[in-house]
This record gives sequence, C-alpha cells and structure tokens, in this order.
Amino acid sequence: MSKNSNVKPDRFRELKLSLQVFFSNKSAVAGLIIFLFYLFDALILQFFPQILPFKHPYQLTPNYANPIPEPPSLKHPFGTTYPGIDLLNAIIKSIRLDFWLSLEIVIPGAIIGLVIGIIATYFGGWIDEVLMRITDIVFSIPYLVLAIAIGYVLGRTLQSMMIALILVWWPLYARYARSVTLETKELTFIEAARAAGTSNLKIMFKHILPNSLPPVFVQISLDLGTIMLTISALAFIGFLPAANLPELGYLTSLGYGYIQTAPWAMIIPGLFIVLFALAVNLMGDGFRDVIDPRRRSEL
Amino acid sequence: MGGWIIKLWQYALRRVLLFIPTLLGLTIIVFVLIHIGGTNKLLAMYLSPRLTGAARQQIIAELNQKFHFNDPIYIQYFYWLAQIFQGNWGITNTPIFSGPVTQAIEIFFPNTLILTIFAAILIWLISIPLGVHTAVNRDKPSDNVIRVGSLTFYAMPWYLIGIILIIIFAVWLKILPIAGTVNPSMVSDLSWYHNGISYPTHILLIDALIHGNFMVAGNAFLHLIMPSVTLALGVMAALVRLMRGTMLETLDQDFVNFARAKGVPEKVVINLHAKNNALLPVITNFGYLVAGLLGGVVVIEDVFSYPGIGMWLTDAMINNDMGGIMGGTLLFGIILVVTSLALDLIYAKIDPRIRY
Amino acid sequence: MESNQLKSSIAPIVKVEDFHLHYYTRRGVYKALNGVNLEIRKGEVLGIAGESGCGKSTLGRAIMGLIPRNAAVVDGRILINGKDYLKPLKEYYKNNKKFKPSKNADVLKKVNNEMSKIRGQEISMVFQEPMTTLNPLLQVGYQIAEVLLYHNPGLLASRRLSRSRAKKEDTKAIVKILKENGPNEKFEQYLKEKDIVGLEDQILAIWRRKDLHDLKKEQMIEKLCCEPISSFVKNYLERIEKENKLPNFSKIPIIGRIVKKELIKEGYKKASEFLGLLGIPNSDKIVYMYPHELSGGQRQRIVIATAMINSPQLVILDEPTSALDVTIQAQILELIKELKESINSSYMFISHDLSVLAEVSDRIAIMYAGQVVEVGNKDSIFDQPKHPYTQMLMEAIPTIEAHELKAIKGEVPDMRNPPKGCMFRDRCPYAMPICAEKRPSLIKIGEDHYVSCFLYEGDRL
Repeated sequence: MSKNSNVKPDRFRELKLSLQVFFSNKSAVAGLIIFLFYLFDALILQFFPQILPFKHPYQLTPNYANPIPEPPSLKHPFGTTYPGIDLLNAIIKSIRLDFWLSLEIVIPGAIIGLVIGIIATYFGGWIDEVLMRITDIVFSIPYLVLAIAIGYVLGRTLQSMMIALILVWWPLYARYARSVTLETKELTFIEAARAAGTSNLKIMFKHILPNSLPPVFVQISLDLGTIMLTISALAFIGFLPAANLPELGYLTSLGYGYIQTAPWAMIIPGLFIVLFALAVNLMGDGFRDVIDPRRRSEL
Repeated sequence: MGGWIIKLWQYALRRVLLFIPTLLGLTIIVFVLIHIGGTNKLLAMYLSPRLTGAARQQIIAELNQKFHFNDPIYIQYFYWLAQIFQGNWGITNTPIFSGPVTQAIEIFFPNTLILTIFAAILIWLISIPLGVHTAVNRDKPSDNVIRVGSLTFYAMPWYLIGIILIIIFAVWLKILPIAGTVNPSMVSDLSWYHNGISYPTHILLIDALIHGNFMVAGNAFLHLIMPSVTLALGVMAALVRLMRGTMLETLDQDFVNFARAKGVPEKVVINLHAKNNALLPVITNFGYLVAGLLGGVVVIEDVFSYPGIGMWLTDAMINNDMGGIMGGTLLFGIILVVTSLALDLIYAKIDPRIRY
Repeated sequence: MESNQLKSSIAPIVKVEDFHLHYYTRRGVYKALNGVNLEIRKGEVLGIAGESGCGKSTLGRAIMGLIPRNAAVVDGRILINGKDYLKPLKEYYKNNKKFKPSKNADVLKKVNNEMSKIRGQEISMVFQEPMTTLNPLLQVGYQIAEVLLYHNPGLLASRRLSRSRAKKEDTKAIVKILKENGPNEKFEQYLKEKDIVGLEDQILAIWRRKDLHDLKKEQMIEKLCCEPISSFVKNYLERIEKENKLPNFSKIPIIGRIVKKELIKEGYKKASEFLGLLGIPNSDKIVYMYPHELSGGQRQRIVIATAMINSPQLVILDEPTSALDVTIQAQILELIKELKESINSSYMFISHDLSVLAEVSDRIAIMYAGQVVEVGNKDSIFDQPKHPYTQMLMEAIPTIEAHELKAIKGEVPDMRNPPKGCMFRDRCPYAMPICAEKRPSLIKIGEDHYVSCFLYEGDRL
C-alpha cells in the first residue's frame, strides 16, 4: 500500500470495494476457480450430456470382466476402482450428482428456514415460541443421526435422503433469520415504516430480508461444503442401497476394501470431495471479508 | 462471597427443568418417526422375527396390551413413553448383536463413551491454546501454517482422515491395531470380561486398570488411539478456527486495552482477560460442534470397526433394523441434550452475567 | 495550584513534539494526527477540546502507547518524563518502503513491553465507556487489585506481613497514640520501631472514616494484629516486601498460586479502602461485585479508582463523563476535582463538551483535524479566543442569555486527503491566500497563550 492515496467519490464505490476486497484474497479466488470447475462440470453434464462420450451419463458403468482396481494408466488416467469402474469417468459423473444434490438441499433449506424464521420472529408471541421449540427439538439430535433415521423411515432412497437433509437443515437458517429479525425489528426505521402504513409483509421482505441476506449468503456457501461431506458420509456408510449411483462418497466406499493394494481407488474420489469442500470454504471466507464491515476496511 | 454459588445452583435447577420438555420433544420426534414407518416396522421393533405361529400371536397380544395399538395415536404415545421409562426399548437384530436394545446399549455405549472422552481431552488441550496462539501471532508463519492445516482437516470427510491414519500407522508402519477395542485373544479367558462387556465399569480400559491387568489396558489404549485422534482432528479444525475468530474480536475490546493501560503483563492480558472472554462464544457454539462430533462417531466407528453405538446404528441401518435405528436415535438425542445442558452450566460458571 | 498560571520552569511530564500518526486501511490512509505540539505540566489539568474525529482520543491513546497495529508513527515524538517510548515504531516506518501491519505489530509488542512498566504506575488512563472498560467476568475488586499487584506488590506484602507481626499490645498502643495526638510522628515512629509500617494505610483508612463511631474504629484497629501465616508463604512475602517485585510464578506453581491469592486478597482490602476514600459507600461489599451489578456512575468511579490508586503522575481521561447521564456526570466531575486537590497528579481531560472543560481545566488546548490550533489557560481561551475555530466553538455553546446559536458551516476535511495549507481554511471566514499554501504553526500571542493561525503573525510575542 503506497504511503499516499487519493479517493474519488463514486456511485459504484462500494461495489468496486467489494470486488477489490474479494479479489485481493488470493485463496478465495482460487476457491472460486475450483468451484467454477465443479459448476461447469455439473452444468455440462446436466444440460449437454451429448458432448461427452458417456453412454450412461447418470449412472456408473461397472466392468465385471475386470473388477480389480487398476492403477492409473493412459487408458484410465485415474485408474479404476472395484468393480471395474473407470475413475475419471465416474468422478465426472459424480461431481454433477453431488453438486446438484448439495444445491438442492441447501437452497430449499435456506429458503424455508429464512421464511419461517422471519415470519415467526416478526410476529412474535406464540408463533415464535412454537418455532423455537421446533428448532430446539431438531437440534437435540445430531444431524447425521437424524438424517439416517428420517431417511430410513422414508425408505432409503436418494429422494428420502434429500428430504431428510432438508428437514434437518432448515432450522439452522430459521435461527439465523431469527437473530437478524430480532435485531432489525426494533430499529427505528421499521417503526417509521409502520407509521407510514407499510404492510407487514412488505416490511418483512423489503427491509428485514435484505439485512439478513449477506451473512446467510456466506453461510450457504459454507454449507455447500458441509452438505457435500454429509452426503458422502451417508453414502460411505451404506445409506443408499447398492446401486450404480455416481456419488463421490459411494466411490470411496467401493475403494475401501482395497486400501492396501489400491489406495488410489479411495484417495482420488476422496480428494475431489476435499477439493470441493476446501474451495467452498475459501470462497466463503472471501465473502465474509466482503460483508463484515471491519474485515472489509482492514488491510 | 458464597452468593454466587447459590445463584449458580438456582440457575442449574432452572436449566434442568427446562431440559425436560426438550427431552420430551425428542421422544415425540422418535415416536413420530416410528409411526411414519408403518405398523409393520413398529411391530418389528418389539417382535423377534424368529417367532412364528401361536407364539408370535401371543406376543402380539401382549404387545397390544402394553402399547394399545388400536387407540388413537396421541394415546399410544403415552403408553410407548411408559414402556421407554420401564426400560423396554425394543429389540435389535443385527449381525453384531441380537437382543434387547437396552442390552445393546449396555455393550456398546461404554466403548463410545471412552472414545469421545479421549477425543474431548485431546480437543480441549490442543484447540484452545492453538486458537489463542494463532490470534495473538496473527499473519505470522505459524499462524498461516496452522490455518492452512486446520482448513484442510475441516474440509476432509472424517472417514478419509481415519483411512489415511490407518494407511500410515496400521498398514505401512504397522504399529497401531485396527478393529475392535482390544485384541480378542487377550481377553478370551478373563473372569471379568464376557460377551463383550467388562466389569465393573463396562469401560475396558478402566476395568483393566482396576484389575491390574496392564497388558490388556495397554492394548485397549492402543486400539483407542487412532479412532479418538481421527475424531479429535475433525473437531479441532473447526474449534481452532472458531477460537481464533472470537479471540481476534475480543482483543479489540476496550477492557483488553484497559488491562494493558493498567500495566498488566501481556501474557496475563491474553490468558486471563482476553482468552476467558473469547471462550464464551466458543462455548455457545460448541453445542453444534458436539452434534457434528456425534455424527462423526457414527462414521468413524464404521471405518475402524469399533464396537460402539455408532457402529451399531450403521449396522442397524443396513439391516433394516427398526429397533436399532430408533433406539440409537433416541440415545444419541439424550446424549446431545445432556451435553448441551452441561455446556450451559459451564457457561454460567464462567459468565456471572447469566445467572440472573 | 497557583503555579499553573505561570509558565512552569519545571520540565513537563509529557511533551508532544510535532507528532504525526497515520491509520492504514483498505479505504485509504487516514492521517489522524498531523503535527501535534503539546505539553502537559506537573500538577495541572489540561483540557483537550475538539469535535469527534479531530484526533483527541487518538492522541490520548498514543501517549499511553495504546496504538493499533495498523497505525504508523510517521514523525515526531512523545516524551514521557523525557523518554521517547515510541521511537522504534517511527524507525520501522521510516526504514521501510511498505507498511505492513503485521511487522508493525512486532515492533508494537516490544514497545508495549517497555511501556507496561509505567502504565498504571506513572501514567494511567480512564476510558469513555465504563461498561466495556471493565472485564465483565472479573470482580471489580480484582481488577483494582491487579494494578497494585503488578506495580506495588511490596505494599501488599507489607500489609499482610505487618498484620502477622503486630501483637495485641502493639495495636492497643497505637490506638492510644492516635487518641492522644492523632496520626503524627510519634505514630509513624512507633510503626517503624515495631517493623509494622504496613499497617499505616490500614489504620489511617479506618481512622479517617466518617461513617463509623469512634469506639467501633478503635475496635477495628485493635483487630489489625495477630494474623498467623504459614512459613512458606511468609518467606516469599518477605522477599516481595523487600524487592517490591513479583517472583517468577511459573517457577513455583503451587506456592506461587497461594502467594498470589494472598496478595490479591490484600489488594481487595486496599481497593475497598481507596473506594471508601473516594466516597463510595459499602465499598467492602462492592469490591466483590461484578461490573454488571453496578450502575454506570459506580463503574466509572471504579475505573477512576483503578487509574489513580498508585498515585500516577499523569492521568488521561478520555471523555469520562460522556457516556453517563447529567446528574452522574456532575458527581464524577466533583470527584475529579476532589482528587485534583488530594492527589497531586497531572490530568489530561479529553472532552467534546466545553462546559465540562470549563469546570475542571486549568489550561485548555483546542484540536482540529489532528493538530493543536490553540492552547492557553482557561480564562484566556474562554474570554479571548483567538483562533477562528475556537471563536466559533464559543459561539456555538448554548448559554442562559439568549443568543443566536451559530452552527459552524462545513465539515471536517477528509483525513485521507487533507488540504495542503491550513486544515480549517475551507470553513474559516477570515481565510487568506497564504492559508491555502502553508500550514501555520503555534506562536505565542499572550501570557501562556499560543495560537496556530496566520491572522496573528504580526502579534507574535
């Protein structure tokens, strides 16, 4: 930072500052790039699967003729895992599934949580009490265990896992929304809006919601990683009945039996899980730098 | 000066009273889940599949008497709850154990208990000082290394950490054992150990020490190292980051500057004034970490084939064992609620403002 | 006190010479202090006035050495009893092309180490917000005792030891002496002979109390004896009494904790006595309370007690009454005025409220945009303000006589890009061409009255 700097007034000054803050954080940028790779994979495979030479783009293609995992080679750049699945192939497919799964769990969970949280807290009274009790109860069971129980009861399928995780996840956002709403609710400008006759609905969604979005946005990006880890953990312990489901956790469990002879079968899928979680965390950190007013101004 | 102890007990009493509704809420959830699964699954919880014919019918009649299956659902809940209090949690039917759920708990819970205690000790001893250190030495090389390390572990699925440890210590170096709590040949003819349960405390390590059998104790300890370290690493990553964050915020507060303005040596400023205040939000958030820890127990016991309640739950899930899943869920819930209560009390002991 | 009106020939406690301090943030470099020249003389109350953002708080903290890691000491120096503690920071800044907060923080660590010796002892500070100044997790007595522990452990050790050395007949004799002649040389002589000088504070604190019956006081004094003490602890305490230094507690963990606890306990007692002196009722119960159990006024009194219990040479008070409501404000000002009489320290009283400064100050300095624009004794400033800014401040004060409230037009300049010449030029009704080119410096225009303005070049004394 040079010892002299001039500041020009600018309409987009804050936006430019946000970009400057984010991009000056090198690891956040790296995280963003990696995230974009995953996004790219997910998009291409979802909407233009024709581009890639996959006969079954949404399923694993085992080769029972050669079930034993083979090390990386020209034919199989990442090697193969049991039973005869080409890892590069499998990973590209799995990234798509895991990515969309994470999104389809976190975003609905966040929306439900925010809406319920804001409404309940804004109106206060018994609605708020009920909400608090419900979130308390959901938090009283470790989320992985609860997901297992709900998913089991609904039949151990991909859909039931999604529903289970959404049910487990929304209370977190409801709590967030609650704390933001409590803070903002008492601010004078809300009273002013009410005095001017603004409807409750409008107050909630035009004034309170925007205030809660920045920290929630950071939390969403971090949760994408956590959910990915949770999904892969569930798949690893065998939540989904054996199927040719391209999922990174499931791939690692396939390689588990061959730790000593074929460590790559497990390490490589595992690596892609870690990479995603890492990327999303670094990105989230970068976002935090942008929205937290102190971190924003600090060098 | 004793006034605060009285206030603390009053507060503790209030928290204990509040935790009863939470426990009840917990049971309601489990009950609801049981019923979503349908009557067949419900029966499966209390009925051994090996029973057939007349014996089966008789047992069903007995169950009907106890649970009142034909009554409306909200009445059934109370009968079910009564059964729970009487210790009838159902039957579990998995490869590793078949029998009453309560017995399964008796076998598996102590193992998980010692595992989590070990992990908790490691976590506490290492994360707090590390978090404080990185905050105080902000942006120095040690801070950056620790942050990178903790971020990496934070992003790793727990089973992966465990597997890597297995590869290094069990496969390559061959110095640590995997699977189980102890080498079976060592305990095959011990008077105080049978059917997987050790007496008197049920915790193998402690019982071995009580009986003076240091070989078994040592072996049990070796078996504990990798799973508890894996568990600890997963949580430590999050805790170090949390501690660093709260510490950095606290260091900017007025009372820290005031302590310096008084001439208090920097070491005391950090360790007495800043650290204790920074611990408060950590403890508040710790409940969530414990939930993650318990989830991790499930996965790690699977990886290490460690016979605790996590492994029991996983087995139950794979084998469609309703009794095991519901029993396990209820148990995990109780553990989490009790731990949260304990955390609340610890918080109240440190922060005098809460007790009013 | 009359010596304050004359320019003191004794060296000032604090001399600020052309001090510059810049804050580095992502939004730019804020030039908070731009060549401050000031001195604080022995035994005076110097009021510092100015708007928010003029740098008065920053100046107070800089004198204490409480500088954040992103603040660079760019030039100048602050001499405390002749010593420049901030020199390493200035050297870091001047010797490095790029300013890095982390490297600055390293230098700051050493500076803090050096300054911790005098903080709480020679210089101390009272902050603005009493609720956030006190550690919410510790009893207030502990927080006062800390200052004694780290600077004057000998005193605490001596008190404790004296109570164990004193015998019943000693205390009875002392009561007799006090009743005859009060606390005179015979009293002190007796204490010295019996090697129980540590009892002096405790006895006098009881003797001077106004809320107790004489008989009760005698009883309490007589009780100050015969407290047994374990020999381990006694050895350490005796060494502490002699050297007035704490042992390295990490080397003696178990005994160390016991010794420290004894000292802190003693600290609580002395804190309670001092609070009693300050006129706080029930001080013996208050020391065991936590900050949130006390009212704002009580807390601020505790903070002031902490700052003053070691009779420092300089007390910096940063807006000590701004966070309190008016009645409490008045009480605290009374307290400060009483302290000014009894403990002859110097005071630097920072406030944006000129009426408060009029109550307590001997001299007043007016700050604007990181500089001192006018300084002089109170009457000169109020009756004959010279600097245009000072004049406008005076006119803006609401008074009983109806007059038009004149707000000062314009705003403080953006400190990231301060103007080339005089900082006040844009708002000054008397601005001249030279004001845009050069910055004025402080010139003497009266008996102990200095102003920084080109209007008075010709009136220079």
